[in-house]
Amino acid sequence: MTQRTLECSGLRKVFDDLVAVDDVGFHIDAGETYGLLGPNGAGKTTSISMISGLLMRDGGTVTVGGREMTTTSTDAKALLGLVPQDIAVYPDLTARENLTFFGRLYDMDGKTLKARADEVLEIIGLSDRADDRTEDFSGGMKRRLNIGIGLLHKPALLILDEPTVGVDPQSRNAILESVEHLSREGMAVLYTTHYMEEAERLCDRVGIIDHGQIKAEGTRRELVQMVGQHDRVRLETTGSVDAAVAALDALDGVAKSDGGDGSIELLVIEAGEHLTEILSVVTESGVAVSGVDIDEPNLESVFLHLTGRALRD
Amino acid sequence: MKSFTIAAVNLKRFVRDRSNVFFVFIFPMLLILVLGSAFGGDFQARLGVIAESEDPLAQDLVTRLQAIETVAVVEADSAEGALRSVERGELEAAVIIPADYDEAIGSGRTVSVEFLARSAQEASSLRSNVESAITQQAVVLRAARFAESEGLATFDAALSTATATEGFIGDVSVDVVAVGEAFALDELGQFDSSAQTQLLLFVFLTSLAGSSALIQTRRLGVARRMIATPTQVRNVLVGEGLGRFAVALVQGLFIMIGTWLIFGVDWGDPILATVILLLFSLVGSGAAMLMGAVFSNDEQAGGMGVLLGLGLAALGGCMMPLQVFELIAPGLYTVAHITPHAWGLEAFDSIVLSNGTFTDIAVFLLILVGYAVVFYALAIWRLRVVLTR
Repeated sequence: MTQRTLECSGLRKVFDDLVAVDDVGFHIDAGETYGLLGPNGAGKTTSISMISGLLMRDGGTVTVGGREMTTTSTDAKALLGLVPQDIAVYPDLTARENLTFFGRLYDMDGKTLKARADEVLEIIGLSDRADDRTEDFSGGMKRRLNIGIGLLHKPALLILDEPTVGVDPQSRNAILESVEHLSREGMAVLYTTHYMEEAERLCDRVGIIDHGQIKAEGTRRELVQMVGQHDRVRLETTGSVDAAVAALDALDGVAKSDGGDGSIELLVIEAGEHLTEILSVVTESGVAVSGVDIDEPNLESVFLHLTGRALRD
Repeated sequence: MKSFTIAAVNLKRFVRDRSNVFFVFIFPMLLILVLGSAFGGDFQARLGVIAESEDPLAQDLVTRLQAIETVAVVEADSAEGALRSVERGELEAAVIIPADYDEAIGSGRTVSVEFLARSAQEASSLRSNVESAITQQAVVLRAARFAESEGLATFDAALSTATATEGFIGDVSVDVVAVGEAFALDELGQFDSSAQTQLLLFVFLTSLAGSSALIQTRRLGVARRMIATPTQVRNVLVGEGLGRFAVALVQGLFIMIGTWLIFGVDWGDPILATVILLLFSLVGSGAAMLMGAVFSNDEQAGGMGVLLGLGLAALGGCMMPLQVFELIAPGLYTVAHITPHAWGLEAFDSIVLSNGTFTDIAVFLLILVGYAVVFYALAIWRLRVVLTR
């Protein structure tokens, strides 16, 4: 069996009387992006703090590249790059000095380090500001440097804790593109966010976390199916729709259909797979279709279904 | 190696903050001046002398003033020029010998020598020296005047004889013998506070201020980020501590070398003095790291740092000599040795007052090493708790 880049199970953390994380477990393979999706205070940061060896855990196991992670295990930490939620750089050092400093802590040497720092500055788009102090940077630039430090030593596992909080749309898009690029290059990525659209765009699999527990896990499609959510399809029509609705009800994949004045609304499992068949049935029933609108259920609605509250509550 | 990397960044950031230049170079310079003035042995006060007459008695007084060891006589052109120099601090004081000095003495009139100084307090010792020189000349003049009045010789001949014999007359010395038990404060002169006490007070106090560096590293999230790399908490803390240790050591050496070169302050054997300073700086940086690990903001650490820095210095004998504690309250003398200051002072006392060797101060040095180890160990434990729980 191929070794997992990250494997954690039964993670538990208790602060006084508060159970912050309870029985959290998942795995990530090379080239895979895993999202921990949940609202503020759900236990995302506590979970990744235990995974990255920053926080002592009260229970559970974590291995990175097969090496057990604890607060003192340097061999496991060497495989990991952490991008904390809050910007953690020295403001009175330049971007290059910050990269060089952290590079040395990852045991990188002179020439390799210099070359890699230049490369990372290029990736994060700060080559022209490399020798400026970071205190003069915009929030977005600081965020990019924050990410750059995590990438410096080409880690097997990159952990990003809500990296786009408080970032302008342009920098945000740049960050998301960087993560997609890293994933394509084979890096395993653990991405925490409370932005549903980021999780949908980036993550191969998503774990929905709330009150310190993972409520559900899988691909977006699996999660949607898990909670019984259907795609909503609306057809703009001309002519009588009664015959068409009756025919559609008999189709596989169509859970429900309703005809109205100039339109048909359907609840469909995997609308993309059944759309051609649906259109052909409607046309054969003598109804002309002038427009199609597909509304796929998203992770927001899955979260709502699982927890009874919205992601940003 | 990682600790050195962290220390190097710590120092780079320290140097980059221009306000720190004041604490590294300017403030120690001020301390050098204060310590040098207070404890220096070779300091010579600059005394301007304006002799408005080339006559022999006026020139004799100039010669007598030049003979005073603690005075550097500067011949000035005019009374106005001398006054300006005193006002600007270029001279500590000035003496104006009038043009009719010889004539007035020869005719038996009283003659006034003007003494200019910025304040009586600053120039009191210098004035005593000038008065002493004038008195010495007056003794010779009175002897000559007496011989003239008795008809033994003319004034000039008698003056010549009196001057010639002046050197053969022995001084009368007074030996003071203390009897009975002295009151404690009378002993202060014997165990006068020294430059060493001020050095230890300053090094420890400024080291404690360095706790803010660790607090800032924590507050920036950089400390946590460092331990997410393959770096142990102890490396982080030792690195931060080494940076502050280097600053304290440089400051201390700057003060020691400056006061020695400019004012000739006696620090004892230079190598042993450096070893004491080195270990005490290590203790100071360890205490700073402990505070940096315990407190979470600069204000708390700053307030506590001043309180601890001055409090421990006072208890440890930096404000009142340990020997006074021993005389007035032996228990307090024992309690004073809870502080590293007391052990540092014991070591300095040994090498300065008794020409102590390394063997003589080895125990004191070991105790200082012990303080440093305990402070660093507690700081590492505390930082680990703060960062990982």
